[in-house]
Amino acid sequence: MIGEALPEYEIGPVSAEKMKTMSALMRDANPIHFDPAAVCALGMGDRVVNQGPLNQAYVVTMLARWAGGADRVRAIRLRYLGNVFAGDKLRAGGTVTAVRGAEVDCEVWLEVIGGAKVISGTATVHKGE
Amino acid sequence: MKVPTEEELAALVGTAFPGGAFTFEPWWVHLVNDCALAPPSDGAASPVFAFLAGTAAMGMSWEEMWAIFGATEADGPMAGETATEIFEPLRTGATYAVSGEIVSAVRKRGARTGVFDLVGYRLELRDTRVAARCTSSIIFPRRSL
Repeated sequence: MIGEALPEYEIGPVSAEKMKTMSALMRDANPIHFDPAAVCALGMGDRVVNQGPLNQAYVVTMLARWAGGADRVRAIRLRYLGNVFAGDKLRAGGTVTAVRGAEVDCEVWLEVIGGAKVISGTATVHKGE
Repeated sequence: MKVPTEEELAALVGTAFPGGAFTFEPWWVHLVNDCALAPPSDGAASPVFAFLAGTAAMGMSWEEMWAIFGATEADGPMAGETATEIFEPLRTGATYAVSGEIVSAVRKRGARTGVFDLVGYRLELRDTRVAARCTSSIIFPRRSL
């Protein structure tokens, strides 16, 4: 099992409308998530920027699909390496690095398809009954 | 806004957040899962909910957090890492007490990045005991140094 590649999960194109809803749900006033002019003013292009927790959630969903539910994801450590912009298509994946009984450690990642890796990290999932 | 000295920065470790409480209301959980393209059946089980609830009920806004470190949104603080541990599945409809504190704060210098402060903070969601713990870092660029 160690070295096994987790089934990849493709996401997108990432929706600017969902970012707007997420800004409201998080009460996150940062305009880079809902105002293209604010993104432009920062020299980051003209597409709004996805929230970090949404990027994190895509990785969790990739793990949940493999492990049998989001409640199987017991620990996750992620490093944010870059931004995801509206319209991006993404791919999440991972590799098993250790097995301790029913607990499985994995390396995980999220990348822009045709672009850069935007998240890397590790996770522990419960694979038992 | 005054950028703290390295000594002042280090002295901020241990600063506690006011804290609060967060209830995973079903409509809110449903919409977060919708935004995250996650199945509604996941409920609040994803570790992402620990971060969202923790930061929502830590008792201060992001601007207030930036101000502690002599920064504003315009300085461009960025998320570094997030590490979440789930000890008990988070439940839709349940209310959790949220507490937290600053756990690390150091100034760093990089050849490409210039000077920045790396600040760590920990948030806990508690029912009868700790259900989830989330330790995250923020990078504060210090272009004036």
